[in-house]
Amino acid sequence: MFNKITTAWALHRRTVTIVTLVILVAFPFLITDQYIVTVATLGGVYAILAMSLNLISGFMGITSLGHAAFWGVGAYTAALLSTKLGWPFILTLIASCVVALVFGVLLGLPTLRLSGRYLTIVTLAFCEIIRTIETNWKSLTGGATGITGIPKPEIFGYVFNTPMKIYFLVLVLCILTYILITRLMDSRLGRGITAVRDDYIAAQAMGIKDSRYKIMAFVISAALAGMAGGFYAHYMSFISPLSFSFDQSTLILSMIIIGGLGNLTGSVIGAVLLIALPEVLRPLMAWRQVIYGALLVVVILCKPSGILGKVNLKHIKQRELFKRGKEKEGEVKA
Amino acid sequence: MSTPVLRTEKVTQRFGGLVAVNAVDMHVDQGEIVGLIGPNGAGKTTLFNCITGQYTPTEGKIYFHDKDITGMTPYQITELGMCRTFQNIKLFPHMTIMENAMVGAHTRIKENLWDVIFHTKAYKKGEKQAEERARKALELTGLSDNPYYYGTDLPYGKQRRLEIARAIASDPEVLMFDEPAAGMNEGETADLTEFIREIRGLGYTILLIEHDMRLVMNLCDRIYVLDHGTLIASGKPEEIKQNPLVIEAYLGKKA
Repeated sequence: MFNKITTAWALHRRTVTIVTLVILVAFPFLITDQYIVTVATLGGVYAILAMSLNLISGFMGITSLGHAAFWGVGAYTAALLSTKLGWPFILTLIASCVVALVFGVLLGLPTLRLSGRYLTIVTLAFCEIIRTIETNWKSLTGGATGITGIPKPEIFGYVFNTPMKIYFLVLVLCILTYILITRLMDSRLGRGITAVRDDYIAAQAMGIKDSRYKIMAFVISAALAGMAGGFYAHYMSFISPLSFSFDQSTLILSMIIIGGLGNLTGSVIGAVLLIALPEVLRPLMAWRQVIYGALLVVVILCKPSGILGKVNLKHIKQRELFKRGKEKEGEVKA
Repeated sequence: MSTPVLRTEKVTQRFGGLVAVNAVDMHVDQGEIVGLIGPNGAGKTTLFNCITGQYTPTEGKIYFHDKDITGMTPYQITELGMCRTFQNIKLFPHMTIMENAMVGAHTRIKENLWDVIFHTKAYKKGEKQAEERARKALELTGLSDNPYYYGTDLPYGKQRRLEIARAIASDPEVLMFDEPAAGMNEGETADLTEFIREIRGLGYTILLIEHDMRLVMNLCDRIYVLDHGTLIASGKPEEIKQNPLVIEAYLGKKA
């Protein structure tokens, strides 16, 4: 059953993509409750974070518990540049990417010497260091009270001041992130990343500079998370260290594990699921968290590799088309 | 006579107090199939790892043509034109047969991040080249039947062939096989022998480690024998078969 669905999906991928896009665009018009649109926007932020973490943890195979740190670095960069120096949104967004990217190099360096759970501990420590700096460097970051009064996103005079406008902005950022990572993975560089994850000794023997690919994955992932942070700061107009704590790192990691490691669409589904579920379960009141947890356990028990784990639509499509081509050839000969 | 394609000069590899490879001099000429044999633990794979850059030899030099490649990294050596396979098959499990072979072409195509993100001409050209190289290598190794299944789904013998295809896609001058017949039955070994002879005909120079004596004796132009890290004999297969030192290393001393 599942295989039939994924095969049909793989063969009609364009149609599925178009339908999904139409639904995503129509969504805020069909929903009258502005609160739901706001939740969807938050889902979009987490979708970007999950997709970018998937690059490190799914495609590169390094379990990272430090992803919220890049998000925080991006958010603080944007918040400070816009409130203290009055930079416009586009520039703060780019600056968020660049600053997070530098931190990506910093966290990428230990990956050259460490692996497995030891490396995971380093990412965890990294997350804590960043959070501690955010909390204690009061003159710069405002300490635990955070930064307030960050202006709404504005591009060339057009202000994104309603939930719907903001929703479309994050939708565009999500699509950009999706395209960027998809294109990256579908190339020589992506094959390099996958090869290093699968077997770094064999990868080296095939001429792949493994250190370069590890750093590259971290840098791109960090820059995208930084972008999500930059957007988040302007969208919330208030940030504090609490928003980027270790809990958030684990939440993002849960999203990609539930969605399926190494599958970008899975990351988006995971993000939407984990953000939407608490809202859907709201009527359950006190039982909400219990059911939430139980549902996640059920998903993982039913599909241990995540919802779309081990599903590679490109491979399925190539395989099916080749099969059909062969069958046609056979018919012609017969 | 021209210089050998590959030459080692007094290569020694120590691990702590253990001398795994001891001052080995060997060379491989253009177009030859050279075998490296020896009992278990003789240091064959260690020597192999020194040549392919996994280890930096403690002492000695390794030359590829006239170039000193001692201490180079594995990826630099592959780029120069030497590519290896592994004793315990090391395919990429999450890649299709085609992608496995395309990774082989990694050093031969040019795509940078910019090309990849904006799908420039360089990207399209690179992908096309990688696919062509992979396709050729798969045809050569008889693996072109639906190459979009996962490499690790193939039967054992074909997985070996895929490793060889991957190495061939890197366009090497020298192919290095670490026990290519390990775990194969007689029929598969005979096929492999024929296959290696075929690819030698295409101009590749081959260095291989092997336990299967029939394959080595049938295939190799010259053989080096290692025992306890030291070269104890070298020469044509017939000479090696007669060599008392070799017989002793394999079977023990006469009582």
